[in-house]
Amino acid sequence: MIIITNVFGTEFALKRPVTLDLESPTLRDVLVALQRHHEGPWKRILKEDLSLQEGCVVLVNGRNIASLEKLETEIHDGDEITFTVLAAGG
Amino acid sequence: MKGFCGKLLEIDLTSGKTKNTTISDEIVEKYLGGRGLGARLLTDMVPAKTDPLSPENVLIFLTGPLTATMVPGSSKFVVITKSPLTHGWCDSYSSGRISVELKKVGYDGMVIRGKSNYPCYLRFDSKGVELREANLIWGRDSFETEKMLRESEGEAPVGVSSIGPAGEKLCRFACINSDLYRQAARGGVGAVMGSKNLKAIVVKGKKEVDLHDRKRLIELNRENYQRAKKSVVAQARMKYGTPLTLNITHTGGILPTKNFQFGTWEKALGKIDSVGVYKSTISHKACLSCFTHCGMITRVSEGKYKGSELEGPEYETLGMFGSNQLIDDLPAIIQANILCDKLGLDTISTGNVIGFIMECFERELISSKETEGVEIRFGDSEASLAAIEMIAYRQGFGDILAEGVKAVSERIGKDSDRFAMHVKGMEFPAYEPRGAFGSALSYAVSPRGACHRRAWPPAKEILGNYPPYTVEGKAEMVKGLYDENCILHSLLVCDMPAKFIPLSQDDYSKYFEAVTGEPVSKEDFRIIADRIETLIKMFNVREGFTRKDDTLPYRTLHEPLPDGPAKGQFIGEENLNRMLDEYYELREWDRLGIPKEETLKKYQL
Repeated sequence: MIIITNVFGTEFALKRPVTLDLESPTLRDVLVALQRHHEGPWKRILKEDLSLQEGCVVLVNGRNIASLEKLETEIHDGDEITFTVLAAGG
Repeated sequence: MKGFCGKLLEIDLTSGKTKNTTISDEIVEKYLGGRGLGARLLTDMVPAKTDPLSPENVLIFLTGPLTATMVPGSSKFVVITKSPLTHGWCDSYSSGRISVELKKVGYDGMVIRGKSNYPCYLRFDSKGVELREANLIWGRDSFETEKMLRESEGEAPVGVSSIGPAGEKLCRFACINSDLYRQAARGGVGAVMGSKNLKAIVVKGKKEVDLHDRKRLIELNRENYQRAKKSVVAQARMKYGTPLTLNITHTGGILPTKNFQFGTWEKALGKIDSVGVYKSTISHKACLSCFTHCGMITRVSEGKYKGSELEGPEYETLGMFGSNQLIDDLPAIIQANILCDKLGLDTISTGNVIGFIMECFERELISSKETEGVEIRFGDSEASLAAIEMIAYRQGFGDILAEGVKAVSERIGKDSDRFAMHVKGMEFPAYEPRGAFGSALSYAVSPRGACHRRAWPPAKEILGNYPPYTVEGKAEMVKGLYDENCILHSLLVCDMPAKFIPLSQDDYSKYFEAVTGEPVSKEDFRIIADRIETLIKMFNVREGFTRKDDTLPYRTLHEPLPDGPAKGQFIGEENLNRMLDEYYELREWDRLGIPKEETLKKYQL
């Protein structure tokens, strides 16, 4: 499957396609795979146990995973996973 | 009370007379300063149904108890008046040295009434107040005006606020400019200043603000500075500024695109977002009295606008002149921003009005015959820049555009009101509410019209744990956000450091006590916020606003968003009504949105 990773706030890597060898994964599976097999700022955003570093957020298709199923959110082909910070207004 | 000067300067421009008005400690305890004090003053000073551009309207500049202290974000002031754009309540915030100089000259603020019979500017220092002829600066832009006035004052720091040609021409969304790049932008405060024939205000102070416990204040700042250094959010904000928000709104599907037709715009990425702006950034800048430098100075390095430089553009300008007009040319947006600042226009309302007229062109509701041959079409930055000048000088069709999007749509007719994006006559800022239902409520109930400063729901609905496409719990969420910012805007401090360091109400209680010597609790703050918001509501009720004004444009209510994560979403009358009912109930207002008798008694109003 191919997902799109989108990183901004800490550093920038906008809308990058990433191929994962996973079937019907949850977000937890995807994050583990990203940490293990793909370069990225994962340590700045995620702790070892996949909880978030302070001030960081993960969105799936534009929504904070806290309003979805958190780490158990199902990920589908083409989904966009955003890693960013709790920015504040404009 | 320490921190406060305890008096306001009142100037009647008709008679040229001035007087001092005492602000009692009791008033400060009830309303703090800034927005709260302004609510009391405007209600008491402006008779009902006053024409906002008449001499009877007042223009109130206010600071707050924390202004001109070392508290982060404390060089803010608010301009309060009856809005010529909405004919209701208006509070418009800005950073600027004038806030600090006002305190240093011994005033918490000033009230300007009447109308001078000649173009003038107001100058005061510890020796007294003078009204001076403004012949040399009238007609000049805000940048020239400020530079000339600063030069005439010599080396010493001086606060200068001025209007540009748009304010002189009574454009209903004209701003007041300070320190070149900072604006009290919204609601037409610049037009009210222009209606009084007042071009500028120059203030030069000497005194230091009397602080209760300076040592404690320094200690709190040291602690909070360390927190900011460790905060990933503060660091991101100081590095990338507000343009970072564009990446968030695009990702969340709430980036206004093509006059709020769409919620995402891929072409913005890398060009007019934080990545694009960062590439053009040459330095960072902090406001006076703030250790968080979230401002950015950008410079255009090549092309037609090579050498153009400004503090900005902020997210709002990127949204309203960028995605909302389908312009992905950052140098052109920087140019638009400079032009608006110089001519004295609110970039939000100006960008919104131009986006609206672009849609009218696209739908063939209007042609170049009516716009002096200028075709104002999506994606055309040259036309957009031309429109800015037409609006500021009220040239040709610009005379109509200068009245605001509501008035323009009424003039054009043909159901164009369905996509005239405003609330109560004030133009939407750069958040598409169909992708975050709390934003819809926040816009609808805002007493000054569509406003992003009273609450920032995307923090909860895109970045937080509130599901965005439901009305469930949104009234409570919005009230909480409103109350939080009401206190910050009354103290009066910038709400940005509060969000990104972050600082809680407990932190501000500590600052308040260090400055004034008076303890204040979270519960006190809640009561004060309820009192202030209820009083402001009463002001608008008095001016004839009803529940029907707490509404949203047809597009927001009925047209499904066609793209992005929020595809298919729209607010709907039923949802809006439910949120309004719940919000009014939490405020202890009746079902028509009118504060109940017992509520007025409870808050001693």
